[in-house]
Amino acid sequence: MGTIVSQMPVAEGKSVQQTVELLTRKLEMLGAEKQGTFCVDCETYHTAASTLGSQGQTGKLMYVMHNSEYPLSCFALFENGPCLIADTNFDVLMVKLKGFFQSAKASKIETRGTRYQYCDFLVKVGTVTMGPSARGISVEVEYGPCVVASDCWSLLLEFLQSFLGSHTPGAPAVFGNRHDVVYGPADTMVQYMELFNKIRKQQQVPVAGIR
Amino acid sequence: MSGVRAVRISIESACEKQVQEVGLDGTETYLQPLSMSQNLARLAQRIDFSQGSGSEEEEAAGAEGDAQDWAGAGSSADQDDEEGLVKFQPSLWPWDSVRNNLRSALTEMCVLYDVLSIVRDKKFMTLDPVSQDALPPKQNPQTLQLMSKKKSLAGAAQILLKGAERLTKSVTENQENKLQRDFNSELLRLRQHWKLRKVGDKILGDLSYRSAGSLFPHHGTFEVIKNTDLDLDKKIPEDYCPLDVQIPSDLEGSAYIKVSIQKQSPDIGDLGTVNLFKRPLPKSKPGSPHWQTKLEAAQNVLLCKEIFAQLSREAVQIKSQIPHIVVKNQIISQPFPNLQLSISLCHSSNDKKSQKFAPEKQSPEDHLYVLEHNLHLLIREFHKQTLSSIMMPHPASAPFGHKRMRLSGPQAFDKNEINSLQSSEGLLEKIIKQAKHIFLRSRTAATIDSLASRIEDPQIQAHWSNINDVYESSVKVLITSQGYEQICKCHSTRYMQFSSLPRLWAGRY
Repeated sequence: MGTIVSQMPVAEGKSVQQTVELLTRKLEMLGAEKQGTFCVDCETYHTAASTLGSQGQTGKLMYVMHNSEYPLSCFALFENGPCLIADTNFDVLMVKLKGFFQSAKASKIETRGTRYQYCDFLVKVGTVTMGPSARGISVEVEYGPCVVASDCWSLLLEFLQSFLGSHTPGAPAVFGNRHDVVYGPADTMVQYMELFNKIRKQQQVPVAGIR
Repeated sequence: MSGVRAVRISIESACEKQVQEVGLDGTETYLQPLSMSQNLARLAQRIDFSQGSGSEEEEAAGAEGDAQDWAGAGSSADQDDEEGLVKFQPSLWPWDSVRNNLRSALTEMCVLYDVLSIVRDKKFMTLDPVSQDALPPKQNPQTLQLMSKKKSLAGAAQILLKGAERLTKSVTENQENKLQRDFNSELLRLRQHWKLRKVGDKILGDLSYRSAGSLFPHHGTFEVIKNTDLDLDKKIPEDYCPLDVQIPSDLEGSAYIKVSIQKQSPDIGDLGTVNLFKRPLPKSKPGSPHWQTKLEAAQNVLLCKEIFAQLSREAVQIKSQIPHIVVKNQIISQPFPNLQLSISLCHSSNDKKSQKFAPEKQSPEDHLYVLEHNLHLLIREFHKQTLSSIMMPHPASAPFGHKRMRLSGPQAFDKNEINSLQSSEGLLEKIIKQAKHIFLRSRTAATIDSLASRIEDPQIQAHWSNINDVYESSVKVLITSQGYEQICKCHSTRYMQFSSLPRLWAGRY
């Protein structure tokens, strides 16, 4: 259950695709077996101006995310706020709530890739795309047996080191806040949301080989 | 005159003489009082003869003037002047009115006498009595009571007879109805067993299991028609029924599912041989009308078709190590090597064509009736599942589906959990497992028996439990040494499951 979502920076001189290929080859050499594909996507909504009032406060941003790992669920979260896990009918509900939540233009961001199973570890390597352009690489590692986040952090770190090398991330904020609390799929989605936001702020990945 | 003195008032009696005139000197001249005859005359004058008879009302005035007038009118016209004088002088002769009245009375009496004399002759005039109510004869009260009682009893008897007549009529009608039933009463009986609805001028019924939870796409409608081919001239047959049902053509006849296990696999050419048979019609319950047997048979055919359709669908879709073969009306699978399980749908329609085929010899060991029965049970289980409360949504606006599936969204189930929710095994797999279990059980029993008969020391006894599951059986094997049974025992209990190897749980003490 314990999951870490991190970003793998693109190797220098290589495109996103090539880096992903490198990673997957490493994983296959490790002995992981391919188990299909995965997809995580995110849409942004902001609260409509009509509900803000005359104070002119900035509207909150709401993210509606889907994860192929939980195919019948839909996640809705605010930046620092609660995360709602709902049925897939939630998307239809959002259409009805057009008056309150307006979708930010060109905000759909998603990551797609392959899913590898290595004993108790589930590794997902995906390409983060926004529209037609690839913006980065996301790596998710899940350790199935453990549900308490803080307990498996070190194990995950070691595993990540084995194939990410120097790009191993630090402890995610999710782990730091709560100790001995059961990890849930909502926490994974929060991590993804943070990752997407980070990638959005980054500049576009320079296309290699222009020169 | 002055000098008022007390006036003396004197009261005089009435018998004082009336004063005729008072002289100038105060002397009074008295009238002579009436003499007796004069008094009588005066009184007689006062008599009103008209009042007593009451006949002539115009003379009911009762005054002397009236009498005088009448008397005056009665005179002849010659005496008109006298009449005028008479009128003005009413007290001409006090006896005049009396005389006139008497004269009129005499006239009337004479008339009456004349009338009576004429009536007596009965020639020109008769007297008829006025009709009166018959007076009850006072002389015979008993006979009257008897007669009245007789009449009332007769009336009561009439009512009772009428009622009895009606009852006997209805009883005979009912008895007649058993033989010659009315269409509407038959329709009522049909409605008690089957669902009917009216479409236009046709009466259609539903014999499918759709209302019980089946999802088979067959419509299963039958039509109710009036039986009009009754020849009134001929005698009505015993089993005549004014109602007939028309079932869809593909549900005619009777059908059953045959499950059998064969040791060796037959030739490829033998596959798919249609097991035609001429099965004797199942005996209907005595007293149940012919349409009931017809409809029940058709419903059974529909159920068998559904079972077979479900099995063949699963046989094609589900991947297994040894693929199942579906040929025509037979499904063949191999649970164990050299063991073949064949499930076939045997449907015989009632047309003349099929009766030409010679009936196949059906050996009783061929059928595995237990499995056939289980197939029926399983499909009914499946039907019930679609209607169970697990599937029916609460609240009513929630989508259909298994209860836990509805929670899988909000609780973020992953793929493994979702797969575990969905029913994994189909009908075919269950039946194959059951067949495997049956085979293994018989094999194990044979093995234990052969061992027991072969090995004399120690003695082996096997006690099979009567209560078994479709997938599990239990047997208690006692291994004893002759003469030492009480001292030391070693027994083992085996629980068998459908899988290829029987698992052994041993207890020893």
